[in-house]
Amino acid sequence: MNIPVTIFMWVMAFLPIAVLLVLMIKFQWGATEAAPIGLLITIITGIFFYKADITLIAAESAKGIWNALIILLIVWTAILMYQVGDEAKAFLVIRNGMRKLLPNELLLVLAMGWIFESFLQGITGFGVPVAVGAPLLIGIGVQPLWAVIIPLLGQAWGNTFGTLGAAWDSLAMSAGLTVGSAEYLSTAMWTAAFIWLWNIIGGVAMCWFYGKGKAVKKGLPAVLILSVIQGGGELLLAGFNTTICCFVPATISLLVILLLGRSKLYREEWSVENSTIMNRGFAGQGNDEAPKDMTLVQAFVPYFLLSIITLVVLVVGPINSFLGQFKIGFAFPETATGYGYVNAASECFSPLAIFTHASMFLFVSSIIGLVFYKKHGWIKKGGVKRVFIKSISMTMPSGIAVIGLVIMSKIMDGTGQTVVLANGIADVLGIVYVVFAPFVGLLGTFMTGSNMSSNILFGGFQLTTAKLLGVDPSIILGAQSAGGAIGSAVSPSKIILGTTTANILGSEGNVLKKIMMITVPATILIGIIVFLLV
Amino acid sequence: MEQKGFFQTKAGGLTIAFIVIMLAFAMILAGLYTGITVLCTIGFVLIVAAMLYSPVDVYILNRKKKQ
Repeated sequence: MNIPVTIFMWVMAFLPIAVLLVLMIKFQWGATEAAPIGLLITIITGIFFYKADITLIAAESAKGIWNALIILLIVWTAILMYQVGDEAKAFLVIRNGMRKLLPNELLLVLAMGWIFESFLQGITGFGVPVAVGAPLLIGIGVQPLWAVIIPLLGQAWGNTFGTLGAAWDSLAMSAGLTVGSAEYLSTAMWTAAFIWLWNIIGGVAMCWFYGKGKAVKKGLPAVLILSVIQGGGELLLAGFNTTICCFVPATISLLVILLLGRSKLYREEWSVENSTIMNRGFAGQGNDEAPKDMTLVQAFVPYFLLSIITLVVLVVGPINSFLGQFKIGFAFPETATGYGYVNAASECFSPLAIFTHASMFLFVSSIIGLVFYKKHGWIKKGGVKRVFIKSISMTMPSGIAVIGLVIMSKIMDGTGQTVVLANGIADVLGIVYVVFAPFVGLLGTFMTGSNMSSNILFGGFQLTTAKLLGVDPSIILGAQSAGGAIGSAVSPSKIILGTTTANILGSEGNVLKKIMMITVPATILIGIIVFLLV
Repeated sequence: MEQKGFFQTKAGGLTIAFIVIMLAFAMILAGLYTGITVLCTIGFVLIVAAMLYSPVDVYILNRKKKQ
């Protein structure tokens, strides 16, 4: 690669991200409007300053559309699942049932906004916990804006080792870590340790949002217990099995929070009356509409099915191998910029293993759930048609934004802008760079919407930089992936999933502004710890 | 009050934009497989045009209508 890493080139590479942030945060544009502007700037900088030709830009755009389609399959099926539950009024039953099990409102918010999302992140990921969690929180009386923010925070810790370790595997692959080697285990341990810190911060932040100091005081014992199970459990298991080290603690925490609801500290009714995130008047609505004969277990049927199907398909080797052989993908030729930055040819780019993909689990669970609810008479005449129409109508607006953002990241990557961004930071900062190592991970997830993509994009770069600076690569790679996990809370494409199902599409800037107040200091804290460690 | 048809709503407009992007995707792939650069160029222009529908509609056309 001969791209000059100058201040000008760095600024040009950063320009699309800066514009995206300014439009969304300062001017309150929705991602559907801001993403195309960011994309347009990326195209201009790519062609005029990074010497990309039209074939390269078109090829990267097509790759972006293909990747976005894979994400959108999850968006649509997650929304379909939500619509099935909504049509059957199962969320009213879940809300009423969870209220009875957890009379402490703070614990209820933690259960529906953090613990349930962690469980979903452990098996599915790809934004499903945000899409599913937002309407559940609205159902228990959380205001829509906070119903998006809380699941974003709640799911983030599970992004590296969640989805049965998909993002972790990509970090190991891109950094060339051999499974079981000392470097592999050391990196897994550092990653889990940094994520544990974020897990505690996330839990405390949710209590703070709910009722400031009073809620933190009340919720701290629960947060610490749950965090020891989730973050501590993940750290413990990371040394043995990185595939299940998120899913197992996340599932245990789901059971433990129900037990906490019976404990002396949390079994009485308790709430902060003037909580700024609650709108209890709304939560009281629809109590009479909840189907009287639907139990809490029946209301959760699609989610139980989702868990069982996902586990069976992903964990049972022979089933996974059989279903995993059916793949769809497209070939792409080699392309290069005028600076000689080469994008290798691919015979089957980013293949979609349709039967082992999260969207298939969501789709099958939704359809069986639909049949189950209909059989019991909870879905009335015309309900099935309504479910499908609403799911498609809700997917479309976020679809355009997701396509724009993914194409933008692909063009930035394919023209060498991403590499210049990272190299520039490392060149200028020297050893101080390690403070910013988690920010690079965060930036990657912000741009691509995926901790996995961030690790693929920057894993190799972080390893090289660590070696150049003479510091322990395990710590830097751990910071990369932990930063990537935190980044999943600020990723516009994930925020859109929440704003879509919470029915506040266009409020992405507001969500981003509030959530950055937590994610940026947390990332700085991890960076400082890394600096002190190396 | 007059009821709008689906394709006259914002969701409908975005659905059309989505369909255009899918067509453009197919054109680019065809262009890459056959080596016909013109197909790639047309596909790429279609993507940009479809992507810009939403900001142009919200911040230019709607504002003009209001004025």
